[in-house]
Amino acid sequence: MLHNTKCECGHQNPVGTVLCESCGKPLDDEFGTAPLEMRYDGIARRSQRENPALIDRVWRFFSSVKVAIILIFLTLCASIMGTIYPQENTFLNVDPSVYYEATYGFSGKLYYLLGLSDTYGSWWYKLLLIMIGSSLIICSLDRVLPLYRALSKQQIRKHMSFLVRQRVVYQGQLPATGITAVSFIDGLVPLLKKRGYRVHSDGTALLAEKHRFSRWGPYINHIGLIIFLLAVLMRGLPGWSMDQYTGFLEGVPTQIENTPYYLENEKFTVEYYTEEELPEEFRGQGRAVPKLFQTKAILYECTADCSSDKPDLKQVHQQNIEVNKPLKYKDLLAYQFDFRQTIQIRAVNVSLTDKMSNQTYGPFELNTITPDETYVEGPYVLTLKDYYPEFALNDKGVPFTNSKSPLAPAFIFVIQGPGLAEDGEVFIYFPRDVDKQRFSQDKLNAGIVDKIDIGVGSMQDVSISRFTSYLNIRTDRALPYIFFGGIIFMIGVIMGIYWQHRRIWIRIDDENEITIGAHTSKNWFGIRKELSVILGKAGIVVEPKQLENGVKQA
Amino acid sequence: MSLEQWSENALLLAFILYNISFIVYVIAIAGKKWSNRDPIVHVRRWGRVAVTMTVIGLASQITYFITRWLAAGHVPTSNMFEFMTFLSMAIVAAFIILFWIYRLSALGLFAMPVSIILISYAAVFPKEVQPLIPALKSYWLYIHVTTAALGESFFAIGFAAGLMYLLRTIDYTSKTKESRKDSRGIEFTLYAIIVVIGFVLVSNGFKSTDYSAEFTQEVQQKDEQSGQLVPVTKTTVYTLPAFVQPANSKVVHMDSFLGMDQPLLSAPSWMKGIDSGKKLNTVIWSLLSGLILYWILRLIVRRPLGAIIQKTMGGIDADDLDEISYRAIAIGYPIFALGALIFAMIWAHEAWGRFWGWDPKETWALITFLFYTVYLHLRLSRGWQGNKSSWLSVLGFIVVMFTLIGVNLIVAGLHSYAGV
Repeated sequence: MLHNTKCECGHQNPVGTVLCESCGKPLDDEFGTAPLEMRYDGIARRSQRENPALIDRVWRFFSSVKVAIILIFLTLCASIMGTIYPQENTFLNVDPSVYYEATYGFSGKLYYLLGLSDTYGSWWYKLLLIMIGSSLIICSLDRVLPLYRALSKQQIRKHMSFLVRQRVVYQGQLPATGITAVSFIDGLVPLLKKRGYRVHSDGTALLAEKHRFSRWGPYINHIGLIIFLLAVLMRGLPGWSMDQYTGFLEGVPTQIENTPYYLENEKFTVEYYTEEELPEEFRGQGRAVPKLFQTKAILYECTADCSSDKPDLKQVHQQNIEVNKPLKYKDLLAYQFDFRQTIQIRAVNVSLTDKMSNQTYGPFELNTITPDETYVEGPYVLTLKDYYPEFALNDKGVPFTNSKSPLAPAFIFVIQGPGLAEDGEVFIYFPRDVDKQRFSQDKLNAGIVDKIDIGVGSMQDVSISRFTSYLNIRTDRALPYIFFGGIIFMIGVIMGIYWQHRRIWIRIDDENEITIGAHTSKNWFGIRKELSVILGKAGIVVEPKQLENGVKQA
Repeated sequence: MSLEQWSENALLLAFILYNISFIVYVIAIAGKKWSNRDPIVHVRRWGRVAVTMTVIGLASQITYFITRWLAAGHVPTSNMFEFMTFLSMAIVAAFIILFWIYRLSALGLFAMPVSIILISYAAVFPKEVQPLIPALKSYWLYIHVTTAALGESFFAIGFAAGLMYLLRTIDYTSKTKESRKDSRGIEFTLYAIIVVIGFVLVSNGFKSTDYSAEFTQEVQQKDEQSGQLVPVTKTTVYTLPAFVQPANSKVVHMDSFLGMDQPLLSAPSWMKGIDSGKKLNTVIWSLLSGLILYWILRLIVRRPLGAIIQKTMGGIDADDLDEISYRAIAIGYPIFALGALIFAMIWAHEAWGRFWGWDPKETWALITFLFYTVYLHLRLSRGWQGNKSSWLSVLGFIVVMFTLIGVNLIVAGLHSYAGV
């Protein structure tokens, strides 16, 4: 079906036009009286094409605001579903297929089976977001170009029915005799300009317009959202984001996996509020309210021998990590996440005593994390035959280690030197007194113990790690784009909402009849008040409320 | 007097002034039909008095806020009491801003009660100044929480104006399906407000009599060391008389209330959440006291409460109310998006190492945002002005309140400290 889309003013409009692009005459509802639908100035949009092909149908689907609203609403409902029970990602080491049923019974099982236990990671939630993204792009493109075209070539003198069918309307006569149409219009120009309007007049007709930029607000905020959504998608690319939790024992530089960086937790501090600092209600309950978690961190970059026990480290950064104060170095971020008290010996400064001559050699350092293989002290050579970080004996009496943490370290040396057997004698050394007693070090060392002893002078020779600080190590390269998208969104929203595009059309017919129509994108109260003030100054007294078009909207 | 006492007194003064100003709003609006007066002059004169009282009240509450800030050394928005009082203050400020634009003092008739109820609700929570835990030590605490609350306060005004629109336009004489539905909806909304009032009265009432009941419960808890489930005895203390005791619990002691010294029922065994028995008991108390209050009022006025409120609303332009509601929400929307989403993301990034983690509170902030996004888009469509959009503004505020309170009560997450 073909419409004749030529307006009586001679302008040829595209199919789908509601209001003539030139004079504003309503094209499809010529004799109506209801206020006009002014959205997008009544322009034809791409989605209104006749005989749509498949691509046009897709375009039409996504360009519909109604579809957009439904998509947002569906996302809203899906998001609510996801908050009914805790999501899978809030647990570590929990089997969701068992957990939900065990904790919440049948409804929990159903929740899991429906995939709601991972709502926000599910394909259908992502699909909804992608569809919202498509809708944002297509809705915007569908409207912004035609709107731009319509607003950049506006006619000053509009069709009569365009004016009287605005929501703000005034009709009357010139305020006093002796004023000509031209001089009345000329008199209005400075009044409108003072209020920030840009005024175009052609003698007896006038178009005043301000804050047109606010019309672009929605499109700008949509662009911001598109950038935001794209940035979120990009986080899925390899190398764009990293997220791991690592424990750092005090005083032990530990490699951050998959990076050349090592981080040392020099000292971890946890402080609690004292009784005096707490409000009265909390006192005397033994309530521990934490005040500070702090990791004194040093960041190293490995320069050589990176996979060995003794990598070459260069200090690159130093910072105290606290909650709310993450370590930042280039792309690397480290957050205080958790801590555990893990009292263990990190190193001991021992001396070797020759009991026969009473001579002492050393001290030398025994590291409990990466001990050396040989130590040469005076005439003695100590070869580390075996090392057990957490020494234990199995039921057959064979030593083994419970873990890799030096909780009960045991060093088994073969010592060669004066007064000892040619190929050395075995000496077992437990740095902790408790272990010495428990495993009877002296009995194990029977024979050699009369000739040689290894031990520390005082507690100062023992370095102890008290805490393991757990840090959340991250990189997130999409972050700048995400926040950039957020800023653009905010700029768009503020432009579109806190300013309104206002237009006032005035035409004077027969040298006396004034017809005024006005339109604003929002805030009708404001434009009525403004127009009433302006008209008042031009000699026409009219209450703001009287400017409202008498015809109520359907 | 210490700074903290000053601050408490200033809040009390603000609360009293808000209540008085509310009464003056009632006089201003309802009194215009009294004899021997010009209604327009009456509304203008008394409206001015009411707004002046509101502004003085607001000044007093700002004094509370600043003195508490000085006393605590941090912005008082760190727990439920502080947040709710801040929100009530923001609502009054938002009301003043919309009054300044539209000069409609009748708006105070609905805006002030929202603020008054929130202050009384805040009083249910511990008032003491608490030191900040490390997670809250950030200037984002001030920025994120205050901006989000400011946005929400405009939504509250949108709600007040939307409710006024509905009360103004519902036709109580009509028997059509639509107007009956509207009328029932209004009664339900008013009942919901009364439930909150009931909760506040009951909580504060029993708080002042030091009522307590104690229950013990055997629960399976995961042991930190072994990772195995071990039975632990948990004690729950009620401050409201127990209709319902926690599931599988024993009574340790229970103060008698009107001769009731044993719980009537036990919570169903599937309620396993933290304090779920206690919460269920509180919900029952609130609904019940709300119901009693509602029916007392109904028996006094002998017609739907909405119908009696409507009588005071004659002469107020419904379209203006619709526009005020829309405008308030439009003003609040960018502020809310900035505070509750963007600033929240920045802080989450600083504190937790991720800008978004689908924590229930975060998700509900997003849900609120999506809801008002739908609202703003629907406003562009034909037929969604007036009645429908007013209902949306009412529903929207329920979503806001659920985000602020319901999430803490029902689905705690990382924001759980906000409930302490």
